[in-house]
Amino acid sequence: MNSGYLHLVLNHFPTLGFSIGLVFFAMALLVKKEELERAGLVIFFLTAAVTIMTYVSGSDAQQALKETPGFSEGLMKAHESAALVAFAFMEMTGFFSWIGLWVWGRRSRFAGWNRGVVLALSLITFVLMARAAYFGGAIRHPETEAAATIPVDPSVPTLARSWGLFVQDTSWVWPACETLHFVGLCLLFGVVMTVNLRMLGVGKTLFSFAALYQLVPLGMLGFTLNLVTGMMFFVATPEQYTGFLFFLKMALVVAGALNLLYFMLWKTPSQIEQGDDAPIVSKLVAASAILIWVGVVFCGHMLPWLGNSF
Amino acid sequence: MDFLLKIEESGICQWVRESDSLFAFPGILLLHTLGMGLVVGINAMVDFRILGFAPAVRIQSLQRFFPIMWVGFWINAITGTILLAVNATKMTANPDFYVKLVFIALAVINVRMLKKHVLSSDFDDKRPLPMNAKVLAITSLLFWLGAIISGRLLAYVGRSSGV
Repeated sequence: MNSGYLHLVLNHFPTLGFSIGLVFFAMALLVKKEELERAGLVIFFLTAAVTIMTYVSGSDAQQALKETPGFSEGLMKAHESAALVAFAFMEMTGFFSWIGLWVWGRRSRFAGWNRGVVLALSLITFVLMARAAYFGGAIRHPETEAAATIPVDPSVPTLARSWGLFVQDTSWVWPACETLHFVGLCLLFGVVMTVNLRMLGVGKTLFSFAALYQLVPLGMLGFTLNLVTGMMFFVATPEQYTGFLFFLKMALVVAGALNLLYFMLWKTPSQIEQGDDAPIVSKLVAASAILIWVGVVFCGHMLPWLGNSF
Repeated sequence: MDFLLKIEESGICQWVRESDSLFAFPGILLLHTLGMGLVVGINAMVDFRILGFAPAVRIQSLQRFFPIMWVGFWINAITGTILLAVNATKMTANPDFYVKLVFIALAVINVRMLKKHVLSSDFDDKRPLPMNAKVLAITSLLFWLGAIISGRLLAYVGRSSGV
């Protein structure tokens, strides 16, 4: 199975998964149930993480479909651009959902402003994602009426392609994004190391989990920086980022998101006080966090040698 | 220059540069990246703490992570020396390389000053830190940023390090 087919499986997460999150979140606001609201935020956050895989596997799917009869290049590009916009809003929804969860982890209540931001972003994302999915469906079924309703003008470059051309044609953008990608790596690495090494016992007499938990948003800032700069590379040259190694990198990012949720949602880590030895489960999760993020760096670094990028 | 050429053309340097093995150039560069993550990452945590992030973390306690930070530093000193040796003539001719070394030297002096003046002293965490501490934290972040920028640009300025 190549990741072209994976795209067809993964594309259900941003649509179906996100809808479920939206139902949870909307119901939570109606009946004022915080547990339900938390569940909605968790689903938003995880969907946003999986959607990274969905988006990048699209490049493989494009390669796989290119040869099929009736394939419309214009329709594909329209889908790519619609998906890019929807993806951007999806990631923003995921980001603010995560902020909501983080604040809850500290104070056991939600910030009102955040609730409004997540609601607005999730509604916009839902509409944009439905549109992207509609365009995507039309690629597979060019004979249907749906395909005919989508305006495709091959002479006008789509949003994704003009963004890509900007990155390729402006000499400083690529090296600047690479540099920022390293800055983000350092921030993320600093947080991953300090928090997880404490769980493994380094400085356990000095730090409670709750104290180091306050550093976690810096790691999320680093991750966000890398998601944005990483997308600059991807949108500019999607054909470079196909194949197993890059997909593994993205899968590890999703694993990293799941790993982080353990520390944010489970009660056990939050009860680790200064001087406490972390329970074995927390230690295992902490060790896997370090392995996951070193793995992400490994996969990214080895792309020119083991993957398809230059 | 003859001396640099001799190093560059030595058997081990040729292997690092030209071998298809992942343990050669790709692996050494990977270690250099991971080392950077440790040094700059942990140093940045200290800097951001001084600037007011994560107030529940006691500043002096962060020294506990310094040995790990120095492990990262020495990984990079060693891998950096190898990466210099395999491209000795081009690297030493590249002004950007010296810019990077200056930034690293400044950052190391900076972290030693932080250790001496902020982390070891008996500052009361409950009171605001003196301005000097925050200035040192900001310069620390700027020096590492400078090192990362000039390091990345080595691949573009003078085309000396390949990837």
